[in-house]
Amino acid sequence: MMLSIEKIVKEYDGVCALNGVSMKVEKGRIKGLIGPNGSGKTTLFHLISGVERPSSGRIFFKGVDITYLPSHEISALGLGRTFQTIQTFGNMYVVDNIMAGMHLRLRGGFLSCGLWLPWVGRAEREALKRGKEILEFLGLLGRWEWSASQLSYGEQRLLELGRALALNPDLLLLDEPGAGLTPGEINQLSEKILKLKQEGITIFLIEHHMGMVMEISDEVAVLHNGELIAEGPPESIREDPNVKKVYLRGKNSSA
Amino acid sequence: MVEQSQRDFRKRDILYVVPLWLLHLILPNPVPHRKKDFQKRDVIYLLLILALPLILSNEHIHHIMVLAGINAILALGLSLFLGYAGQISLGHAAFFGIGTYTTAILTTRYGIPTVFAFWASGFLSALFAYLIGRPLLKLKGYFLALGTLGFGEIFLVFVKESYDLTGGVIGIFNIPLFSIAGFVFDTYLKQYYLVWGVLIVLLLFSKNLVRSKMGRALLAISASEEGAASIGVDVTKMKVGSFVIGAGFAGFAGNLYACIMSTANYETFSLNLSTLVVLMVILGGMGNLYGPIAGAIFITWVMDVLGSYMEYSLPIFGVILILLLIFFPEGFGTRLGMRFVYLISYFPRKRRRDEGKVK
Amino acid sequence: MNPFTYIPQLLISGITIGGAYALVALGFVTIARTTQIINFTQGEFVMLGGIITFSFLQAGLPYPFAILLAIGLVILIGILVQLLVIYPLRKTSILILIIATLGASLFFSNASAVVFGSLPKALPPLSGGRPFEVSGILISRQSLWVLGVTLLLLIILYLLSHRTLLGKAMEASSTDPLGAELSGISRNLMGLFAFGLSAGMGAIAGIFITPIYYTSFNSGTLLGLKGFVAAILGGWGKNSGAILGGFVLGVIESLSVAFIPSGYKDGIAFAILLIILYLRPKGILGSPFIDSRRW
Repeated sequence: MMLSIEKIVKEYDGVCALNGVSMKVEKGRIKGLIGPNGSGKTTLFHLISGVERPSSGRIFFKGVDITYLPSHEISALGLGRTFQTIQTFGNMYVVDNIMAGMHLRLRGGFLSCGLWLPWVGRAEREALKRGKEILEFLGLLGRWEWSASQLSYGEQRLLELGRALALNPDLLLLDEPGAGLTPGEINQLSEKILKLKQEGITIFLIEHHMGMVMEISDEVAVLHNGELIAEGPPESIREDPNVKKVYLRGKNSSA
Repeated sequence: MVEQSQRDFRKRDILYVVPLWLLHLILPNPVPHRKKDFQKRDVIYLLLILALPLILSNEHIHHIMVLAGINAILALGLSLFLGYAGQISLGHAAFFGIGTYTTAILTTRYGIPTVFAFWASGFLSALFAYLIGRPLLKLKGYFLALGTLGFGEIFLVFVKESYDLTGGVIGIFNIPLFSIAGFVFDTYLKQYYLVWGVLIVLLLFSKNLVRSKMGRALLAISASEEGAASIGVDVTKMKVGSFVIGAGFAGFAGNLYACIMSTANYETFSLNLSTLVVLMVILGGMGNLYGPIAGAIFITWVMDVLGSYMEYSLPIFGVILILLLIFFPEGFGTRLGMRFVYLISYFPRKRRRDEGKVK
Repeated sequence: MNPFTYIPQLLISGITIGGAYALVALGFVTIARTTQIINFTQGEFVMLGGIITFSFLQAGLPYPFAILLAIGLVILIGILVQLLVIYPLRKTSILILIIATLGASLFFSNASAVVFGSLPKALPPLSGGRPFEVSGILISRQSLWVLGVTLLLLIILYLLSHRTLLGKAMEASSTDPLGAELSGISRNLMGLFAFGLSAGMGAIAGIFITPIYYTSFNSGTLLGLKGFVAAILGGWGKNSGAILGGFVLGVIESLSVAFIPSGYKDGIAFAILLIILYLRPKGILGSPFIDSRRW
């Protein structure tokens, strides 16, 4: 079991964003999380990655209780994530963004880095090599010397994915990786995600492109108003009456 | 992008490319952080610094450059915290003060050699920074500015009031000049090489720091704290670390100041100095190490020029500061560099555009 | 001397200076509630209020006239600060804004030394006559003036922010600048108004305390900072918090003289600040702002 969430509740000043959600993500699988806007998907990700604290409930990652751990310690356990609103480091080069993701894997503290002890330089060269490999995988190698803020929106999303990959994560949380991408780019992204799965990385993603989620996920969970209303393989979700109701109602009210 | 546009050359391009290339050797690097870390530019800077007092053999200029060097050490230390990690500190003068008073007290009361006092000053400043920074650096933005400022004010009050330790408002006099194993730095020229030697060593340290994982982590924090935490950067630890290193630098600067001016007086370490150091960093550019040093030289020089009209200099600084912020919010040095990149690629770009029109 | 004989006296002087802190704190809060900016020039408004009144008196103007003119002038300066410093920088980061207002503060304090001279100045008391004596404690008439004016301004501010459309517009412009702009509230106008208002309050504070405490070109910075400490102590972002914090800070500072050397008095406020920031950044009454990302 990679990730297990037990009865998570999150309240903001009396407004209940998540109401007793429990779910599990199994090792080596791709799990999709869908739901209308405001159903608590991103909140759930924030709780898992330690950006916010739940009001009650527990979260276990690889058997470790991470409910109240600070964000950076959770990532040290091997959890990488991307953000819904892009959080790339625009003040750095593209390749440095990826290398920043290797922070934990590189040796050296303030003193040894300042004195540039032998292993620091060695680690730095290896990091650069590995960074370029990741960029090649993402198809961004041609831009490795660009400033990250010069990249397009879709490229920045990819860059964020690359940064999370540099962590060597066991579990990747992807918050709407396909938002703002063209259909062609979404297909490429799906392929990349499937390739990551083959490499043994567990993936938990929020996505609005129904086609993409249904195609790549092994399992899909549906959140509505902070509650889990359906969970199962994509085919059964498609037929689920509850899900149909939620999505149809959403369409009616928006029309 | 620069490389791309330079690829197709014509002879007449030499006309502007050569002077621009020469300029590029001197001007600061436009982009904050680069892989190729030591370039021709660095050698030129180094030679310039070493040769400067020999070219301009004016005692007064030497003295100004000594002061500029001390200010530059202060600005360099703050640059890691302000320019790289993007956090504000308005208490930098206090760490400078701790360094100065540590040296003053150790050398005058206990007769400890200045070299030991040098290390003690740096260490004590860093220690204070750690103790202050641990609780304070949880704060952000305005509250952090205010907290550090509060520390600076408490330091001033303490120095003024504890007469037995610091000499109160009178200060401490007759601090021995800096000396290493009997070699006394007693002329402005010797002091120049002392201060700038220390500065170069500290600069190398900082440069290594910012080109390593630490520099990336600091820049990451200034771009997005959430993003930094998501890749496993311990945000508080990094902030405290850069704060402590900056304070350590300020401690060294304080020692040099004490051992060169031979006096320690509380008036030096007021909020005005903290603001000026921030100004040096902003002037030179955020996320840049050479900029703050250039800023320090510039401001020290302006202060000297305006020195005979002391009462006018501070209001003028206020105005300069605001104008700079309005017109160069990313820092004068950084902006200058970006202009330069634009310029160097302008003519090839224009030519390609014209050719495109013909086709 | 038995400490209990002079502690009530210290209490009175603490409450008096507390009134001034409260006014400065209110100035900070007014600007922050409207524009989400902390204006480090607030203390200079206080200093300018006192010093400009003084120089008008020197020029031979009658006292009430000098006061009104000085308040008007400082309000104008406040509006100019908004127009020339804050407005051009409205899109930059907090860091830049902090440093810019510090720059303005540097300018005002030292420019005032150039224009008005650097000697400390004192205004004559507003109303002559002997201090009142209540069971052996002397209460100067000026203290009553300070308290009365603080109370009056508090009431006016309360009515302004709770009973008028203008107050609501200012509040709206702070909580959601874009939304306010879309519903027809000009953010810049609100900013101008807030700066004018808090500059006026600063000037009033300056005028009323100058007869008790000397004012010189560099006294504004410290006073301003203490006012800010007061605002945080009471609960950042609340008018009631600013008032409470001002009086609490004034009293603590004043009473401290009984226990520690008086020179350390200026350090007290900042010691309190560090403790508050560390233990309870919300302040005594809690703060509506503290959770938002900016603080």
